[in-house]
Parts: sequence; C-alpha cells; structure tokens
Amino acid sequence: MNNTVRQVRDFFVSLKLTVVLLALGILLIFAGTLAQVNLGIWAVQKQFFQSFIAIWHIGKLYVPIPGGYLVGGLLLINLIAAHIYRFQLTWKKAGIQLTHLGVILLLVGELLSGLWQETYTMRIVEGQTANYSEHERDFELAVVDTTDAKFDDVVAIPESLLADGRTVQHPKLPFRVVTKLHYPNAALARRTGQSSAPVVQNLATAGIGTQLETTSLPLTYKENERNIPAAFVELIGTGGSLGTWLVSPDLGAPQSFSHDGRTWKLALRQTRAYKPFAITLREVRHDVYPGTDIPKNFSSRVRLTTLDGSDDRDVLIYMNNPMRHGGYTFYQHQMDAGHRTTVLQAVRNPSWAIPYLACALMTLGLLWQFCFHLFGFVGKRHKLRPAAA
Amino acid sequence: MSARCPLLAVLVATFFLAACDQPKVASYRVPKEKDPEMPAATGASATSPADAAPGVGAAGPDMASTPVTTAAGPGLTWTAPSHWKPKAGSAMRKGSYAIAGEGETEADLSITAFPGNVGGELANLNRWRGQLQLPPVTEAEFSSATGHLDVNGLHVTTVDITGTGANPQRILGVMIPHGDATWFFKLLGPDTLLAREKPAFMAFLETVKPAP
Repeated sequence: MNNTVRQVRDFFVSLKLTVVLLALGILLIFAGTLAQVNLGIWAVQKQFFQSFIAIWHIGKLYVPIPGGYLVGGLLLINLIAAHIYRFQLTWKKAGIQLTHLGVILLLVGELLSGLWQETYTMRIVEGQTANYSEHERDFELAVVDTTDAKFDDVVAIPESLLADGRTVQHPKLPFRVVTKLHYPNAALARRTGQSSAPVVQNLATAGIGTQLETTSLPLTYKENERNIPAAFVELIGTGGSLGTWLVSPDLGAPQSFSHDGRTWKLALRQTRAYKPFAITLREVRHDVYPGTDIPKNFSSRVRLTTLDGSDDRDVLIYMNNPMRHGGYTFYQHQMDAGHRTTVLQAVRNPSWAIPYLACALMTLGLLWQFCFHLFGFVGKRHKLRPAAA
Repeated sequence: MSARCPLLAVLVATFFLAACDQPKVASYRVPKEKDPEMPAATGASATSPADAAPGVGAAGPDMASTPVTTAAGPGLTWTAPSHWKPKAGSAMRKGSYAIAGEGETEADLSITAFPGNVGGELANLNRWRGQLQLPPVTEAEFSSATGHLDVNGLHVTTVDITGTGANPQRILGVMIPHGDATWFFKLLGPDTLLAREKPAFMAFLETVKPAP
C-alpha cells in the first residue's frame, strides 16, 4: 500500500475524525435550533440539515458551517471505513459491530428520508371526492387542454423552471411558455394606481392580470405563512404571441383562453400528485368538551376506493389513527367542521422502516455487549471465590 | 493531506448528485374535474378555503385553534319564503336553504354565526369576492361596495357581488353583528337565479330579528 492511500485510509478510519464530526454535529444542531426562531422548522431543515454548507447568522456575521449532508455523509463514511478496517468476527466484538451497523443505518435512513419523503395535503369538502394531493409549499404552472368533454390533458411545469426563466416547449403544447418575470412571493390587488407599496411592472396583456397590481414581497420562512409566487408568462404559438398572463395561486381559479379551436386553462397552483385511488369525505366531526370550546375530537370518515376495484372501504381517520394505503399514510391535519371541510396530510416515505430497524440493531448490540461483559465479569468472580476461600 | 482533498471533493460531489432532484415537466390525463374554488389575493400568507369559516387559513391555525365553534349567546330568528326548501344543515349552520332555479340550477343560502368580528367586514367581503374570483377591494372602496340596512334594531351590511364569465355566480350576502358574534347570511347561486330571488331575499331580511 502506497503512502497516499494509507494516509487517506488513516484519515477516514480515525477516531479523531469521529469526534470532530460529532462536535460539528452538535454545533449544527445548536445553530439550527437558534435559527428556528426566525426561520421556522421547514426552512431550518432545508438550510441547515438538508444541505452541505449552512450559513449561520450571528448578529451581522455570516458564518459558514458544515451542513447536515456534509457532517452526516462524512460520519457515515467514517463509520463504514472504521467498521471495515477494525472488523473482527468474534463474539466479543459482535455487540459493537451491531451497534455501529445500527448507527450507519440510522444515518442512511435520515439521508433517504430527506431525499424521498413526500408530504402532501388533501383538502376535501364533505360529500366530495379527491383523487390528488397537493404539495404544501411547491407550485406548478398547469397548462390544461380542456377541449375533451371527458378528460383534461395537463402539462405541469414546476415553478422552479419558471424561476430559472426557462422557455418550456412541450410536445403536447402548441405553443412555447416563456417566463418574463417571476416573483417567489408576491401579493396581488386590484389596480388602483395609488398603492404605497412598490408595485412591479405589469406585463399582463391577457386575463385578469391586466386589472391587477402585483407587489413583490420578501420571502417568508414562518411556519404559519406561505410564499405565494406570481409570474408573468407569455405563450408564443407558431403565429406569434398569444398574450402574456399573470399567474398566481392567489388568483383563485384558472384563466381560460382559446387557441386553434381548442380550449385551454392556465393556473399556477400547488403541485399536485394524482393517485390511483380516490377518497370521498363522508363526514367530518369536531367535538368539544361539553360547555367549553376545548377540542375533544377531530375525525374524518372517508371512503377509500381504488381505480382497479381492489379496495373499497370506509375508514375513520382521527388523531393518532391515520389511514394507510399504497405506501401513503393519511393523517388528520386540519379541519373546518363549520364548512364541512377536512385537510388530510398524505405522507409517503419509502424508507420509513429503516430507523426502526436501526434502533432495533443498536438495542440488540448494546444488550449483547452489556450481557457479554456482565457474564464475563460474573464468571470471573465465580472463579476467584474458591481461590479466596 | 494532499490526497485527501480530491477524495473529499469526489465524496462531496457524490452527495451533491445524490441530493439532486431535477424538476421535470410532467404531462398526464385526468378525468374532467371542477376547478377548485380558492380565495383571491389578500396577502402573502393567507390562504383560506373558499368554504372556510371566516378567518381560517389553510396554512394558518392548526386544529387546536381552528375556530369552528358557532357563536353561542343571543340568536336571530327569521321567516323564509315558502318556496325556499329547508336543508338538513350541518352542525355549524344555523340555517340552510336550497332555492331551485331553472333546469338543475340551485342556489344555496347558508346562515352561520361566529364569535367576535371574525376578521372584520372588509376581510369577509374580500373572502366572498375571492370565491367569485374577483379581486379584493380596499378599505376606501368598502363603503361603495356594500350597502346598509337597519332592520328590527339590527345593523345589517349587505353585499351583492357577481362573478365574471358566461354564466357568472353571484353572492347576496349579509353580515350582522349581534351580541358578541357576527352572523352571516350568504345566498350563493347563478346570477340569473339570484336576480329573480333578490326581492324575496330582501323581504326575507326584513323578517330577521333578535330571538325573544
């Protein structure tokens, strides 16, 4: 083994590296916890833990610190490298091996959760059926061909592509979608010409946007607030521009237009994920303790129907009793019983079982290690006793 | 240490690649669906369902603080025209009527009451406007966008708004502060039907009075 490879090996199997990484992990958690006061939990997760480098604001200072992916990734490599390097197949070390394997799995599980977990919501009014869920914070520009009497053909363009200012040409669209301006957070109001806030240039030449003023707002990271994006998009067909529309989820409904004998709808909306099953809300209940306004129970009775007819059942969803189907878990999230509306949170995490397995392995490993030493110690005492006598 | 740098760079790049989730344009076909009703612009963070209780946001309060309680305290009484069909209301509706129009068209009258001023009359007017996909009005425009009546000792704010499009929807709405609560009477239906029903609705308002 040449010197360079040995150096690299020694670096990654080093216990000092483990200690440094653990210390950096503590620092990261400390900084992330403080940042949560201003940024809210989802922004902290994204900026501190699901990133390679995090920027910690200390007063007016901007201090870069290693992010969760970097610390976790290096820790993972360190653990695996040390595990392989020092591996000994003996009963004495089996507990340590199992515990380390558990920690490795825990780190891998966290990485996969960050990459794969989807969290969507489903808003359903009593008596209505929903077959899609919506992302809480991601948006898409839906260009929908509504000409067919039975079906809608949807082309969904992620908002991030609009933010990049890219021109989208899709085979199913007879026009190009060109983003002229994009605002990650904006407020709309009817055009008065007397707004005191800085109003952005109105580029809209078609749709309701021509009557509105758009005000660009700073991004919000608060948990109970959402960024509402807005964009001016121009549609350009073979014969030239069809117009420029202002699109925003705040408009409330899609804008319609006709082109080449077909009817289209255009809407910037929360990103949708259509499901191979449908959920019908049969009843929402919000019970309070008698004589008070204190909530006692929130529940939604739903009917789950799969498209292939393999499942058709009634399910009662309430706090701590979610419905599970097709890899999704549906939790009772929000409710407006007065208007017979429920909001279910649909979570899909293919790696959900890994943390459980990791904890089981660590428990087993620690138990093994403890018992091995205990029995060894007791055995030794037994051997010593007759000699002392 | 020189050998560690390229290796670290490779490792970091690997994780970068693993974290990459390139957004893609998707296309799919779905069964025809009714457009969801959503509110119109009132701010950066507020998103309340069109059918939501006043002041309740989708990204707003969690369930524990969802103001779904109807107002207790003093009530109101009314006498509905005979051709309005009483509906089995939900627990939260104080009253509920269906008014049949031509063909399969129907208007819905909901009577609800919530504690406090539920965000104020302007916010509630704009909430209703949002349901018809109309832009919100400002405080300065509020007085010209609403009317006022004094009925049986009640101060009534009336709203008459019509959406846009070929067959627009219309709302005849009323907000009545009473006791510690605000009462909402909302008649929602096709413009043509509500144009026919407006005289009956105004006559109906005259019958609204504090419960004895």
